[in-house]
Amino acid sequence: MHTLDWVIVVVWLAYVVSHGLRRSRGTTGIDGYFLANRSLPWWAVGLSVMATQLSAVTMIGTTGQGATDGMRFVQFYFGLPIAMVILGVTLVPFLHGARVYTAYEYLERRFDARTRALTAFLFLVSRGMSCGTIIAAPAVVFSAIFGWSLPVSVAVIGLPAVLYTMVGGVQAVTWVDVKQMMLIVVAMAAVVIAILVQLPVSPGQALHIAGAAGRLRVFDFSFSLTNTYTFWSGIIGGTFLMLSYFGTDQSQVQRYLAAKSVSEARTSLLVSAYWKIPLQALVLLIGVLVFVFYQFDQAPLLFNPAHERLVRHSQPAAYGAMESRYALASTQQAAAALALAQARDAGNGQATAAARARLSAADDSVGTVRAAALDLAGKVSGEPSRDVNYIIPRFVLDHLPIGLAGLFIAAVIAAAMNAISGELNSLSTTTVIDFYRRWVNDSGSDRQLLAISRAATALWGIFACVIATYAANLGSLIEVVNRFGSFFYGSILGVFLLAMIPRARGLGAFVGLIAGMAAVGAVNFGAPSVSFLWHNVIGAVTVVMVGMALSLRPSRG
Amino acid sequence: MTEGDPGRTSHDGRRFRVTLVSVLFVQVVALLLLGWMQHHFSH
Repeated sequence: MHTLDWVIVVVWLAYVVSHGLRRSRGTTGIDGYFLANRSLPWWAVGLSVMATQLSAVTMIGTTGQGATDGMRFVQFYFGLPIAMVILGVTLVPFLHGARVYTAYEYLERRFDARTRALTAFLFLVSRGMSCGTIIAAPAVVFSAIFGWSLPVSVAVIGLPAVLYTMVGGVQAVTWVDVKQMMLIVVAMAAVVIAILVQLPVSPGQALHIAGAAGRLRVFDFSFSLTNTYTFWSGIIGGTFLMLSYFGTDQSQVQRYLAAKSVSEARTSLLVSAYWKIPLQALVLLIGVLVFVFYQFDQAPLLFNPAHERLVRHSQPAAYGAMESRYALASTQQAAAALALAQARDAGNGQATAAARARLSAADDSVGTVRAAALDLAGKVSGEPSRDVNYIIPRFVLDHLPIGLAGLFIAAVIAAAMNAISGELNSLSTTTVIDFYRRWVNDSGSDRQLLAISRAATALWGIFACVIATYAANLGSLIEVVNRFGSFFYGSILGVFLLAMIPRARGLGAFVGLIAGMAAVGAVNFGAPSVSFLWHNVIGAVTVVMVGMALSLRPSRG
Repeated sequence: MTEGDPGRTSHDGRRFRVTLVSVLFVQVVALLLLGWMQHHFSH
């Protein structure tokens, strides 16, 4: 990267850290540290919730999926607006009105201490681990692209966020999120413009080329329990996942608990849902446009530069032969793409159909050589060789003008920091409120609790960085993060659903929670082909059924 | 249920309803646009 790009990255990091630290002024107790004294406006909370979801995984993984797999991933988010509306009229008034610090604190009031402790513990385990994978996603890519060691990449991404979150609490997290969200949107829009300017065809022709290669297929109306990206998986499984995530995960709940009123809290949730589907479509479209760009400008055979160097060094003959086949297939692909654009311009239907068929065949040939190269890279390196997460960073560094590359890398780090900071703040809150203050010391002064909260934030930050260093080679990180939560999410949602049913009792909630997780575990291991999106539905339904059966059982005597 | 929400006003309720309707509107428009894009460019 050019020096100017590095200057942009460093200046942005320095700015957000100083902004976060400035926002910490006036935070003298845990009410300010965890809930900003319930003073945050709805629009800031909404942007912050949105920013937390737009992690670095989205910036590099989802865009990469757009390039390789097209737009169908957007179906995953179809349930989100539905979930936000349901939460706005159900759980949000319960939780905000209860004046609690954590969602799990509410469960003790409604049920008992063991249900609170178990749900809080599950949150700490799953979020603590997932926080590590969120840092690992960009860290692995940065270390391969810039040649940094993994611990250095993890430190560059993780430490600034740990610093301002530790000092400033939720005030710093929210206001930094707002600033960084703006940077991310500007960077994505700039990348779209830069790609369109560099394409040798018009935007309309570019979309026809993408369509011919199947990259603009959004909707799949088939009903399948094994396919994650269908309309019905998104609407049903996605709604349950989003209900669980936004309704019961402290990293999200804490945001709207910090809003001024119930009304502002639920408005903020709706605001965060506003642009989710359009924004996710834009993120995928960036990947689709990069795919079109590489129709005319030969893409690297392997996008991971570390694997490319390794394979070229250890298998020069085999890799050289693959490169020759790849160059030939890419030339045919470029010719077919250009022929399609020209045929459409000329309005020649027959030539258009022929060019579409040629393009589709060329795309298959390119894909076959890439698959063989990835297979070879996997054997040589002994690591997972899937390189979806490297496509966009490689494109940005190779083809974007000076300044814009720095802006994009700063936006990737910003997205990672947004996700990490929110999670660290909520991990600290749950540790202090649900464990330290509940079980260890319930008479500590506000100043003592604030010091312990900051120490807890720092410890969780270090824990996440250590996990990130070891979780580096977990394959597709998007699915790892989502899969991890799915094991517990649905069951915890089931407990909160029970909490809204007046006849539900503590024993039913606790046993139901364990039964829900056992059911998800049984499906996960007994029928591994069932998509993780359905785990949430299975978990929630099992908890409610078992919980109500036990609650309605006549008591002895 | 909302006893802890003394600052709630009719303005808040109206803002929530307006936001709700506009959120649903944006999602429907986005889905229609994606459907049109798939139909127009993939055939």
